[in-house]
Amino acid sequence: MQLQAQENPKALISTLNRKFNLVQDYTADVKMVFDIPGVKMNNMNGKVFFKRPNKFRIKAKGIFFMPKQNPMQNISTLLLDTSAYTSVISGYETIDGRSCAIINIIPLKTESELILGKFWIDKLDPLVRKSQITTKNNGTIESSNTYSSNAAYTLPDQIVIKVEVNKFKVPKMMSVDLNKKSKEKDLSKQKETGTIRMDLVNYKINTKLQDAVFVEGKE
Amino acid sequence: MGGFGAILKNELYKTIRRPRSFIGFVVILFICLMLQGAFYHDGKELISFVTQQFESVFNIQGNVLNGNLICFIILQTLIVQMPLLVALVTGDLVSGETASGTLRFLLTRSASRTQIVLAKWLSGLFYTLLLLLLLGIMALFVSHWIFGSGDLMSLNSEGLTVIRADDINWRWGYSFLIAFLSLSVVASLATMLSCIMDNSITPIVTVMAIIIIFTIVGMFDLPSFDVIKPFLFTTHMIAWKNLFEDPVPVNDILFSVGILMVHIVLFLSISVYYFNRKDITT
Repeated sequence: MQLQAQENPKALISTLNRKFNLVQDYTADVKMVFDIPGVKMNNMNGKVFFKRPNKFRIKAKGIFFMPKQNPMQNISTLLLDTSAYTSVISGYETIDGRSCAIINIIPLKTESELILGKFWIDKLDPLVRKSQITTKNNGTIESSNTYSSNAAYTLPDQIVIKVEVNKFKVPKMMSVDLNKKSKEKDLSKQKETGTIRMDLVNYKINTKLQDAVFVEGKE
Repeated sequence: MGGFGAILKNELYKTIRRPRSFIGFVVILFICLMLQGAFYHDGKELISFVTQQFESVFNIQGNVLNGNLICFIILQTLIVQMPLLVALVTGDLVSGETASGTLRFLLTRSASRTQIVLAKWLSGLFYTLLLLLLLGIMALFVSHWIFGSGDLMSLNSEGLTVIRADDINWRWGYSFLIAFLSLSVVASLATMLSCIMDNSITPIVTVMAIIIIFTIVGMFDLPSFDVIKPFLFTTHMIAWKNLFEDPVPVNDILFSVGILMVHIVLFLSISVYYFNRKDITT
């Protein structure tokens, strides 16, 4: 199996897809921890909903930030359509003691939003341990996944999303901060890395979720 | 004390009944309704002007345009205008009577000069409190009624802070207290100038000029201005904004509150001192 995978990335992806194909829909409780430069935001609890083919929603009471290309929504669905990309193994790396093949996904259509997808897939138990997705409009987003009880469905218990953000600048007159001295800014560093950690618990898989759940404003 | 009570009652009645007192209420009503109407129609575009730096990467989920944000924006906008409204009424509490010649008549009453100036100052504070109460009702309660509740995305020069809706009411409470303290400084300054000057317009214009100059000085990050900024009361008048940071810089707020209180005591003391020695010739 290992040898076969090393020779053929499609075998790894196909095993991964087989597992994910067991999932028609799921819900889970999520705790989101934000560390975004220029944004102070407390942790937040919510609920995640997913339904095939690509319906996804995080419902939470309050304001929160999610990357425009949400790895939770994208990774599995991106890999599912094997006819849309070509895959190559570009190397091997050990993540958390697990040997992973680094598989590059290159879209076949030039008009595709995706430029390059890089997936670190566990060789022994095919799961996406890490991913790096570069798109035309939203830059590069990196995510790391940790699995335990729902690994059989490729559903992670923890996702750490890293995203590059431009330095946030607010004119002093706009923020009306008359009693604040402007801090010296490191102009050499225009981009900073933001992190969003999502801890997922209480997965409920294949409960025949209604589409109405994904409509904003509907409870 | 009975004399003081009567004179205070009289001053409160005079302050509230003056036509110019209503200008402040009308202006606050107008500004609040105008901003609420504008945000109701074009709020999302205005918000995206602030959030666009993040929106290239993030989707901002949740109800950003809510009553708490509108109240925050109104309070931030009115921080420049409110002192002018307060000065309009408190700037001629004494000088108005000097100019119209009623001050001599007032001094024939049994109350001491100190009691008279304190009564006038307290009536000014009462008017300020009424203005703030109206602002609170319009900015907070009416905005909540129109836009609903939700987390507050507050903006400062270092970035955005999201304050959760269940952690915000106490911040509003203290904000309005600090805003009252800030406006009390303006009322005290206006009362002091009103005691010093005999013309009823000059103290009002002087207070407005001081506030405009101090505010402009506070806006620029120039080293020469940085030296004097901590001593300007306008620098501390927006200390209420610190309550919407996380963590709340308690020491900074207490320092600002201390500075504001020192200003009030100083201005009031000068008012009492000057009024007691003032020659009332008209």
